[in-house]
Amino acid sequence: MAVLPRARRSAGEILAPYVAFAAKAFSREATYRMEVFTNVGSLLVRLYLMKAVWTALYAQNAAPAGVSLHMVLTYTTIALLMSLVLEIDGTRAIRDKIREGTIATDLMKPISLPLYFFSDGIGMTLLHATLIIPALVMSLFIVRIDVPSPAVLAAFALSFVLGYLVNFTLNFLMNCVAFWTLESFAAQLMVRWISDLLGGQIVPLIFFPGVLQQIVLALPFAAVYSTPLLIYVGTIPPSGYALALAVQLGWFVVFSAIGIVVWRAAQRRVVVQGG
Amino acid sequence: MPIIETRDLRKVFRTLVRRPGVAGTIRTLFSRDYEDKVAVEGVSMALEEGELVGYIGPNGAGKSTTIKMLTGILVPSSGLVRVAGLVPYEKRKENARNIGVVFGQRSQLYWDLPLVESFELLRAIYGIPEKRYRANLDHFIDVLAMGEFLKTPVRQLSLGQRMRGDFAAAMLHDPRVVFLDEPTIGLDVVAKEAIREFVAQVNRERGTTFILTTHDLADVERLCRRIVLIDHGTLVYDGEVEALRDRYGTHRTLVVHLAEDAPDFHVEGAELEAREGDIVRLRFDRRTISAEALIRRVADRYGVTDLSIEEPELESIIRRIYTEGYDAAPTVAPV
Repeated sequence: MAVLPRARRSAGEILAPYVAFAAKAFSREATYRMEVFTNVGSLLVRLYLMKAVWTALYAQNAAPAGVSLHMVLTYTTIALLMSLVLEIDGTRAIRDKIREGTIATDLMKPISLPLYFFSDGIGMTLLHATLIIPALVMSLFIVRIDVPSPAVLAAFALSFVLGYLVNFTLNFLMNCVAFWTLESFAAQLMVRWISDLLGGQIVPLIFFPGVLQQIVLALPFAAVYSTPLLIYVGTIPPSGYALALAVQLGWFVVFSAIGIVVWRAAQRRVVVQGG
Repeated sequence: MPIIETRDLRKVFRTLVRRPGVAGTIRTLFSRDYEDKVAVEGVSMALEEGELVGYIGPNGAGKSTTIKMLTGILVPSSGLVRVAGLVPYEKRKENARNIGVVFGQRSQLYWDLPLVESFELLRAIYGIPEKRYRANLDHFIDVLAMGEFLKTPVRQLSLGQRMRGDFAAAMLHDPRVVFLDEPTIGLDVVAKEAIREFVAQVNRERGTTFILTTHDLADVERLCRRIVLIDHGTLVYDGEVEALRDRYGTHRTLVVHLAEDAPDFHVEGAELEAREGDIVRLRFDRRTISAEALIRRVADRYGVTDLSIEEPELESIIRRIYTEGYDAAPTVAPV
């Protein structure tokens, strides 16, 4: 029998599964209500501790000139709010799926798995994003923060989205390591700590001394937290936006390209557990 | 043109050699010695559309590996594989539209969601037109009696209910080929029969091609005309179930419960197949000796408390092939 001609599918039909994945992830996340509230609770605790640490450090004159305590606290608060969505790793499922062998059934579906993880992550992200406003309001009981002009906020938002994309591709690459070695957890944890530190989530990268600062600012990790945050607090002036955003976009393109190559190789390497 | 075709299909896995002990573990960390393990060795077969074939073999024979190559998630080391005109590993996504899969040991339904939402998601994944989706779903709800638990989250379903859901999920998009991997494992008799009836019906009415991998040979006896046997990665038998049965069907087993101990038990015309305490299993060829004659010979010489005759089930035939090889079995016992 002849092969059936493949029906041409419209863009809407091609996207439909991914929209459905995001919607399902959103409602699935909503069922874990306790975890969602705990996230906000833990954010407030971290914020309180950060405030205590920075205040003590500033009392000892440990900060570099030109960066006020107020600015650092604004930076920290926004960083923590960003982490509400940036700490979500939709691609972590790759590791579990490889370990449990369920990646096999997923690969038997006519979908792109990287896009599946992306849309699943988007669904989770959107649910957690709804927490940002209440978390911000509660944070204001602990700290006072600056709100920049709408133009700066717009640049920050764009930079945040680019940071999200870079973060996704980095996570994806890290989790793809599981295709080659099933035990990648320790390595991942290490990379996560390093990227948190070098990404400027905990300490603003402008606190790093001299050459070291030049290096960490040039690393891709900076594209996730540091760039949007430095736009927010005004360290990156409007004249620097184009370059900053271009660099973020550049990292996203580079890591996406690597991701595509790695994924192709990974697919060829699938060794399903058992059988 | 066959819908499924493999020629000299071969798959070799490279595995890391692990050495025993602490020192061995440390050495494994630094030196990488690989060992080639041949999972599938030159399997050639062709299936016509609408066939329902049992793909049988002992654990580790290479069944799953073959199925994975047919579904496109495993790349063959060499050889040719084609499903509905496509090379699966080259066109994974296109191939996925032509196939359906049911794993008895692993559900592809979404664990946290009500069953019907898994179906909705599959509708989006395969882009099934609304009308066809409705028609198929209504049909499956009816045939598989899923009405009661359609809105129940999958994790709360019983195994039988889950399997019915998995079958519907695998067939909503009208696949031309469906792979069934241990589809009745762990099910009770009634549920097993329901599943078998469903498969037979879909095969009959829609002309869907099925490849059934199972250790429950009752599934095969009930459903398949053709059987493909594989062992140690190579094809052992490919033909009709009936032909296999005819070839082996001349043999019967007489089970004798002895009244007294008989260490040197021996009867002419039959071969001692197994002995467990006072239970003796005698294999005989009914063309050379009748059951009646054999029973008389046994009763003449030994005290007997009970007797029974076993027909060769497909299972015992297959077992003999596993242990002795296909060609070893059909010998005529000397009188």
